[in-house]
Amino acid sequence: MLQSGFARYLRDGKGFEGTLIVAAVLYLLVFAAFPLLYTVLMSFQEVDMFTLGTLVRPFAGLKNYTDLFQRPEFAPIVWNTVIFVTLSIVFQLAIGFALALFFLQDFPGSTYVRGLFLAGWILPALVVGAVWRWIFAGDFGVLNYALQSLGLIDGQIYWLSDPAYALYSVIIANIWLGIPFNMILLSVGLAGIPGDVYEAAEMDGANVFQRFLTITLPMMGPTLGAVVALGVIFTLQQFDLVAALTQGGPANSSNVAQYWSWQMSFQTYEISGGATVATMMIALVIVVAVIYVRSVQREQSF
Amino acid sequence: MKRYVLLALAILFAAIYLFPVYWMYATALKTSGSIFKYPPELWPSQPLFQVSRVFAEHDIGRYLWNSLLVATGITAITMLLGTGAAYALANARGAKANVALFLVIVLQVLPPSLMVTPLFVAFNHVGLLDYPRTAVVLATAAKTLAFYIVLCRATFTQVPRELKDAALVDGNSHLGAFFLIILPLARNGILITSVLVFLQSFGEYVYSRSFIATRELQTATVNLATYLSANSADWVGLMNYAGIYVAPILIVFILLQRQIVTGLTSGALK
Repeated sequence: MLQSGFARYLRDGKGFEGTLIVAAVLYLLVFAAFPLLYTVLMSFQEVDMFTLGTLVRPFAGLKNYTDLFQRPEFAPIVWNTVIFVTLSIVFQLAIGFALALFFLQDFPGSTYVRGLFLAGWILPALVVGAVWRWIFAGDFGVLNYALQSLGLIDGQIYWLSDPAYALYSVIIANIWLGIPFNMILLSVGLAGIPGDVYEAAEMDGANVFQRFLTITLPMMGPTLGAVVALGVIFTLQQFDLVAALTQGGPANSSNVAQYWSWQMSFQTYEISGGATVATMMIALVIVVAVIYVRSVQREQSF
Repeated sequence: MKRYVLLALAILFAAIYLFPVYWMYATALKTSGSIFKYPPELWPSQPLFQVSRVFAEHDIGRYLWNSLLVATGITAITMLLGTGAAYALANARGAKANVALFLVIVLQVLPPSLMVTPLFVAFNHVGLLDYPRTAVVLATAAKTLAFYIVLCRATFTQVPRELKDAALVDGNSHLGAFFLIILPLARNGILITSVLVFLQSFGEYVYSRSFIATRELQTATVNLATYLSANSADWVGLMNYAGIYVAPILIVFILLQRQIVTGLTSGALK
């Protein structure tokens, strides 16, 4: 029976596998690359509600960017974003690493109890935000109660409505959400370090801290790189928590770039401004993604 | 002895970590008067089951159904496009394969909150916003695809190459070998990754909030968010809602906990 050339091409190894990859990449080009380029384009154009649906619009040059830099809220929101990302990563990583090391020890049920932590990771961020909002409540919140019982604070802290604390509330919830993922990825990295390296070091008289500094940390280098890069990407994506906890308030004190960009596009309809913030974030995220992909490739060569 | 001390410590850490989940259900069982006691009752003294009342009052079934539809659609598209791509990328070597993998990863790192404006414009243009749930499905699948491909690719790399070669020698086509030999062997990895994609899609928020204007079509996340901003004093109702919403997620998680952990640890970074 004769087969058409195309059908044979599809059944042949290269054609079959090539088609599978092309289908997925095409989908991503349409639904991910297109919005990306469109956002970059909009950041250089004058966009309003009426020209939103057309591609050809007056060229604005760098005006959207200079306008944005001059806004009074620009510097505080950039600074908030830096604090949000830095503190989230540092604590997620430190707590996640400590837990991963702890669960590396041999005791009954260790895998099972470690798995329980993932329950936090699979919950919708919006629900997590709603629950934390109740924990943070000023007058009746259980967090204030816990801190007072421990003697750490005297009065009530109004976590979500006090501009001095609002950002840190979102950060605390975000750290909570990120711990399981960090712990699991770091556990995988730790499991990959051969045990005989430790035994050799122990025979040479290295103590726990020396072994950690000279073996664990260097050998975890690529994993740590990947975990930090993924953490930065996830933290820069965190929208749901901000929406559930503070909505960027009070007075932008807990606002971060990704939420601000959405607010401009969907709440105040300053679409060019939203696109400009988005474009600057895209540039940052792509740099981080390149670092991530490179550290993953280095890992594979082990 | 030391091993049991460690176990006790581990349980203590897990208990501290999971306290927010406990607190959600503990609050849901309290009366609306007792939640405003200070110091707070760590254990509801007069537990009151209000699940069915809150469920009916807020028509939660409808929104859960919408979330279920959306999550099913997202998972279906992700599996359909992702399984083949993950398999092909597990076999492929060389520059083209690297570029493809790089695109897959880089194209999903953008926050949905930034992609939503252009997608809104495009969907509006082609009339997709008339089918808002489909719009959410199409947009979210582009976010879950990379996660799915990365994890499934690791599963496929564990299937021995010789089995496929043997099938080809026996006269199977590549297509036949994929469906008859390789897919059944990679079934567990595919199913667990799909469950993870499903659980995450079930909580999708940004696209649903931005694309779905009709109240009847909204997902549970969007409805919960409306409730969150409107009724910030009704904490018992809110925690009941949240508790109902995450119950199926937690049940699936507890049932598949072992497999989920294995799936994540075997494929997480490869």
